[in-house]
Amino acid sequence: MTKELSRNERIKEASAYLRGTLAESLREEITGGIIEDDAQLVKFHGMYLQDDRDLRGERGRKKMEKAFSFMIRVRVPGGVCTPGQWLNIDHIARTYGNGTMRLTTRQTFQLHGIIKSNLKATMREIDAALLTTVAACGDVNRNVMCNPNPYQSPAHAASIALARALSDHLSPRTPAYREIWLDGERIAGGEEEVVEPIYGKTYLPRKFKIAIAVPPSNDVDVYAHDLGFIAILDNKHGIDGYNVTVGGGMAMTHGEPETYPRTADVMGYCRPDQAVAVAEAVVTVQRDWGDRVDRKHARLKYTIEDRGLDAFRAEVEQRSGVKLAAAKPFTFTSTGDRYGWTESDPNDENDKGRAHLTLFIENGRVKDVPGGAQWLTDLRQIAEVHDGDFRLTANQNLIIANVPKDKRKAIEALVAEYGLATRASALRRNSMACVALPTCGLALAESERYLPDLVTALEQRLAAHGLAEDDIVIRMTGCPNGCSRPYVAEIGLVGKGPGRYNLYLGAAFDGSRLSKLYAENLDHGAIIANLDPIFAAYKSERRDGERFGDYVIRADFIAATVNGTDFHKDTGARR
Amino acid sequence: MNSSPIPNTAPFAEKEIEILNRVVGPASPTQRAWLAGFLAGMDAATTAPQLAVGVQPAEPLTILYATESGNSERLASDIGKVARKMGLKPSIVDMADLDVATLASVRRLIVIAATWGEGDPPARAIRAYGELMGKGAPRLDGVEFGVLALGDTAYAEFCAIGQALDARLEALGGKRVIVRVDCDLDFAQPAGRWIETALKALAPVEEAGRGRVIEVAFGVKAASSADLGPVEAEITELIELTSSQSEKETIHLELGFDGAAPPYKPGDSLDIYPENDAAYVDDLLKAAGLASDAALRAELTKGRDVTTLSLKALESYAATTGHQGVKALLESGDARAWIAGRQLIDLLQFFPIALAADQLRQVTRPLAPRAYSIASSRREVGEEAHLLISAVRYQSFGRGRKGVASGYVADQLKKGQRLRVKLQPNRHFALPALDRDIIMVGPGTGIAPFRAFVQERRATGAGGRSWLFFGDRHFTHDFLYQLEWQDALKDGSLTRMDVAFSRDTPEKLYVQHRIWERRRDLVDWLANGAYFYVCGDAKAMAKDVRAALVRAYADVKALSVEAAEQAVNDLDREHRYLQDTY
Repeated sequence: MTKELSRNERIKEASAYLRGTLAESLREEITGGIIEDDAQLVKFHGMYLQDDRDLRGERGRKKMEKAFSFMIRVRVPGGVCTPGQWLNIDHIARTYGNGTMRLTTRQTFQLHGIIKSNLKATMREIDAALLTTVAACGDVNRNVMCNPNPYQSPAHAASIALARALSDHLSPRTPAYREIWLDGERIAGGEEEVVEPIYGKTYLPRKFKIAIAVPPSNDVDVYAHDLGFIAILDNKHGIDGYNVTVGGGMAMTHGEPETYPRTADVMGYCRPDQAVAVAEAVVTVQRDWGDRVDRKHARLKYTIEDRGLDAFRAEVEQRSGVKLAAAKPFTFTSTGDRYGWTESDPNDENDKGRAHLTLFIENGRVKDVPGGAQWLTDLRQIAEVHDGDFRLTANQNLIIANVPKDKRKAIEALVAEYGLATRASALRRNSMACVALPTCGLALAESERYLPDLVTALEQRLAAHGLAEDDIVIRMTGCPNGCSRPYVAEIGLVGKGPGRYNLYLGAAFDGSRLSKLYAENLDHGAIIANLDPIFAAYKSERRDGERFGDYVIRADFIAATVNGTDFHKDTGARR
Repeated sequence: MNSSPIPNTAPFAEKEIEILNRVVGPASPTQRAWLAGFLAGMDAATTAPQLAVGVQPAEPLTILYATESGNSERLASDIGKVARKMGLKPSIVDMADLDVATLASVRRLIVIAATWGEGDPPARAIRAYGELMGKGAPRLDGVEFGVLALGDTAYAEFCAIGQALDARLEALGGKRVIVRVDCDLDFAQPAGRWIETALKALAPVEEAGRGRVIEVAFGVKAASSADLGPVEAEITELIELTSSQSEKETIHLELGFDGAAPPYKPGDSLDIYPENDAAYVDDLLKAAGLASDAALRAELTKGRDVTTLSLKALESYAATTGHQGVKALLESGDARAWIAGRQLIDLLQFFPIALAADQLRQVTRPLAPRAYSIASSRREVGEEAHLLISAVRYQSFGRGRKGVASGYVADQLKKGQRLRVKLQPNRHFALPALDRDIIMVGPGTGIAPFRAFVQERRATGAGGRSWLFFGDRHFTHDFLYQLEWQDALKDGSLTRMDVAFSRDTPEKLYVQHRIWERRRDLVDWLANGAYFYVCGDAKAMAKDVRAALVRAYADVKALSVEAAEQAVNDLDREHRYLQDTY
């Protein structure tokens, strides 16, 4: 029996390559929203229709519709942009957005609070900045991530090149984007030709994410991605080739155990020149094999579970013509960023003497706080004098990169003058939150607006136990979809309802192992009450160098999760 | 019934009495009733003077008025009635309809002119005023005239239009026979006295009625029978329409009445009788050294305008207190600049002196009601009236200030409370026939009467199209009645809507920009006979909208600026360009 395709499949099919009735929806001035089907399509153009949930309660009474606005997500492969592009995004944020820039967990910019009447002007400015938003969201390959810290310069240069090549190769080809946002006119004959050689009319069954990791850093959380490339370095610090990983992904739904996060499997090894062909094959196999009936079962991770890694590998090899070799050994040490200055590889002739400054930006929110920190203004002023580049990290932080030796003092002085190098605790430096309320339509609880306060409370407990300087990864999301990758954090908090969170423990510090549900529906006090005794035990019982996430399993606070299919098994506190 | 009901003493010839008896005698009660009504109506309708047998033909008197709120119009009507009794033959002319050339043939002329906003003529009088002040004005040699000026001392250019007209009529050769009087908001008594004097001066020498005292409460009562005086209303709903994140505070007020609502029509206004802010009155009494006078507190709170600071108030203060500082300020010539942005409290605090209750009274004037356009149609809301009120709040000279009426509504009124209101009919801002198209331009609270229009048109199933222009600061936070307009567009009671939000974009966007963008369709609608309504800010918006429409005509029809202006003036003349601005 053939099951009916999901609604989104029909919308894509009927959309004439992502056009739908978007142009008409944009012309309708009396509503700040767009019709439902267009709201699905607009994601492929890099934006979400949202509304200010803080205002929902009053809107009807005030005879106004929901306070609609759009979140626009830019595509920045590997998170690298120029100071000029930074200034462009800053200008858009202040002119059309809510006056803030959000550096995301996937190394790009998000602009929030852009109302419909300002969309086209915003999109034109983004285009003029030589940036794009196409496929930043939607059932396509999204922003390609890559370790952004160029201190291992030759390897980094190669991996960023691959990130860009993948991004370009897998970018949608439909002219709808330019038509709707930039040119205003439909390009004639667009329907007849093959518009999307890789995707076809209905694109992918679900979103698709790629990351490239350069060991020993797993900052990009390569295991949380549909497709991953782990660089294997040669003895000259260049890249010999890549281990290819498939089938990672975070999203699940509360109360539906058939949905689960999954860490990726290492499928094999390929040479750098084979990587794009392998990626295309992975994408097209998923295009053809992925579930288009049940969107909650449509990510590549379920395809791999259902068809088996061997069958999947064979199909990829057949389509790409690349015979994957056996995976090569590598070691990850952490998922965090290297704060402060790092220097380029002294063996690299080209990059000699350049240095890179990683700044901690709490939850990636760049803004001016009235009467407080003025990060938006300060970073704008740095962007005006900096002639290297800006790099957005996978931990929502920012690297002022490629600072020549003679400029280093000047940048340092600006950073000091603006107080950007504020000292954050070890826990805070390893914390990450998704946006959630008030803009995200999926949020069940606060995240970005709450985590800083929770961290403050936990810092006090950690300090009381003498753990203030210990790196522990803590991540929060407002819903189980996992934008901040909470299931690969040592402490994961996932919104369940207003002020209530599920607590997950036991993930590996290097992002290679998932966590497991420890306790449900905790409020602020209960989160602290649950964690405090574990902190105390960790301090007294841990072995030399033992990470928090490993300790809680050895000490039997929680069972280990080997992979996605046992994520929901043996949950709960054990001790 | 007697077959000869008409008595022989009736003022008719014997033959006429016989004819009348022949008709009236056998008439049925219905026929007689009809006749009675008919004759009464005929008298009321005619402007012809009631001629007594043997009296000479009446002398003509032209009464010209320039009105915005309707006060000048009511005064003109009152003067007409009295003039008729005195044997004059009055003709009452709205400046909106004035053909300036005809003034040359007038013998006696009374002008009642209101000044609006910052020294502007009322919107409907702009055209004729411009013509009269311009080069094309006719000579008025020998025309006997008098000017009564209405204004508000709260504004710097108090009675400027009346003053200008007074000087202009003289310059054109007219003979001033009554000295002009400039009236403040409490104009009834001074206007009454002026009218008496004027009519005496203008009446024919042989007029027997001369010198007689005529009891008329001039301009206080509307000519219309719809005026029922102030009534109590209950606030059945009070909603702040603007979002909690808005920079503005615009309130939707629903009023219920004990029984029937005042018989208002779309376009009419309601006067609100406000009370002063208690804290402000306390400050004022404290500054005057009268804090313990409870009776005075009550009187000032409910009955006196204790915020407006005018030159007149400054002069009264100097006269009654002999305060040297105020005298010096007045003599310095800087007084006008000094009062800008200040209120009475500033005067008392800046030039403190102990006052007697009467002295404080002397520097105030009666608290005037404030008119708000009604935002509902009785056909849709029944015995209710809805108002839209924007709270005026600002800082000046280190003190938070607020509008008296809007502050009263925003800060003192709650759902369930009662307040006094009075209907202010506005026949110059009414809907046309059902099949005519209407274009409505109403940014901010200017949207209010158009909510009434659209409700009325929905309820009456009007066939004409309707097009609404709305604007405010932010789409997200200030889109007043957004859901209702969405519904109206769906059910067809609103054909089209264009919006302009000024603070959403780097360049401020206003309704006049939308008018310019849509000029082809607009001129097309107007060519089809559409009515063009403007409601809201008089200072800038109404002028900008008119200018945009002139440019629209010039562009679409390839006209010179003069011809385009003429095209818009023609709309005025046809009463298809209607304004309710403030």
